[in-house]
Amino acid sequence: MRRGLLLLGAALIVSGAYAKDLRSAVESPDATPILEKDRLPPPKEYTMPKECITDDPLAIARGKYIFHNLNGKKAKTPPPKGLPRFIVVNGKKVPKQYGNCVACHNIEGAVGPGNIGPDLHNYKKHFIDSGARSYQFVYQKIADARIDNPKTHMTINLTTGLFTPREICEITSYVVSQKKEK
Amino acid sequence: MKKWLSLTLVGLLLGSMAVAEEKLSMTEADRALYQEMLENNPADIFVEEGAEHLEELGGEEALAKFLGVSEEELPRYIAGFPRYIDKIGMVVAIDQMLQAFTYDQGKKPYPLKSAEMDGFAAYVKSLANGEKINIDVNANEHMKQAYKLGKEMFEMRRGKRGLSCYSCHSPDVVGLRLRMQILPDLGDPKVKAAATWPAYRMTKGKMFTLQKRFQQCMKNALLAKIPLGSPQMVALEVYVTDMAKGQEIHIPGLKR
Ligand code: HEC
Ligand code: HEC
Repeated sequence: MRRGLLLLGAALIVSGAYAKDLRSAVESPDATPILEKDRLPPPKEYTMPKECITDDPLAIARGKYIFHNLNGKKAKTPPPKGLPRFIVVNGKKVPKQYGNCVACHNIEGAVGPGNIGPDLHNYKKHFIDSGARSYQFVYQKIADARIDNPKTHMTINLTTGLFTPREICEITSYVVSQKKEK
Repeated sequence: MKKWLSLTLVGLLLGSMAVAEEKLSMTEADRALYQEMLENNPADIFVEEGAEHLEELGGEEALAKFLGVSEEELPRYIAGFPRYIDKIGMVVAIDQMLQAFTYDQGKKPYPLKSAEMDGFAAYVKSLANGEKINIDVNANEHMKQAYKLGKEMFEMRRGKRGLSCYSCHSPDVVGLRLRMQILPDLGDPKVKAAATWPAYRMTKGKMFTLQKRFQQCMKNALLAKIPLGSPQMVALEVYVTDMAKGQEIHIPGLKR
């Protein structure tokens, strides 16, 4: 009699616990903390720093290198002086990320460019000298393109902390510079 | 034995291909190799291992019983994943369902990360080969929620470059080129994205599930990788699978 009751109790527990039990066998970690940390901050407006646009060949070379390369590990040629291949994040040595702008934009000397963004050939002549774009506009576009275009497919480069304002200046200087090859 | 030999050969070929691949998404030689592999997918061997594992757990009969369907209904039922399964109490992808099933059969489930699970999940999904994807995102509140979360995940800009899946797979950019890669339209019947994963990736020399493919895009675009099986990842699979609804399943797929 007592044994019968016990068995009945056990059966009830088993049926109730079954779903919970099956569930415990299934991996289902919560990604919320990862996503929270990874979220893109709201769009931010920037004022170009003083003496941002330069014709210093080394600064332009760094901007160019950032434009054409993905990161310090993948890059085939050594970076110009002042631009590291690796940086230390939380005590760990990791490849420095570059802009990989060429993935979306064609420009003078591009190898395997994409066509998601506009072609930036002759940018100085067509966009700057013509008065269509200011340096400030280009700086803001590269820093955080959402200000000009909330739905942009372009990468966000300053608000995410990927680059420093000085690096954005160097990339901008490269884009607006006079380039030799067609 | 012979299969292993040809696999090694494929490995060698792929090794040299990886170098060329940096520049071009697919050379003529890659394309020829692709045609050849279509006939003899290197992933078949892993799928066969999956078949053996299912046998050990009681075969299709046991699986159908676990899922509460008849053996005839099984392929159509499998073509509807991810689904909400009442006795598990959540929306699950095939690999997670197989964890519950394995446990129910008194065995230790493969981890989602493992290559064994990829083969197992690929085999079970291949039972639905020839069936059309019939996911029902309105089947119940759980699926509706998962679809909503999946859309949110797809459009969420994040990471150091502030990109989302939508940045590269939205209707206004698909077909354009990112470096030398064409941005695929995940709903395109020619791409058959959700209908062809798990697939063998020639450039990686391995088979991956759809969720692992998502992780590769996350890694490339600098979005933090979210874990396999997380409700957010399953939701993303629901959303992307719905894009390919009605397309015929063909497992294992073969990708660049
Ligand atoms: C994932 C694709 C993508 C990447 C990567 C990308 N861009 Fe863009 N870019 C775009 C798109 C799309 C536009 C046009 C829409 C817009 O202006 O928001 C654009 C617009 C621009 C413009 C404005 C052109 C004009 O005058 O109208 C500049 C300048 C530019 N990008 C520079 C860069 C630089 C520099 C980088 C790298 C740091 C970069 N882009 C990376 C997609 C991209
Ligand atoms: C920076 C651009 C970019 C981003 C961001 C991106 N993808 Fe992709 N994705 C690609 C490219 C390019 C390919 C094709 C690569 C190839 O041809 O091998 C691809 C391929 C895929 C495929 C395989 C399609 C097939 O062949 O079956 C899936 C699935 C996919 N992406 C899903 C996602 C998801 C989900 C996200 C967001 C978590 C995402 N992608 C984010 C560029 C991107």
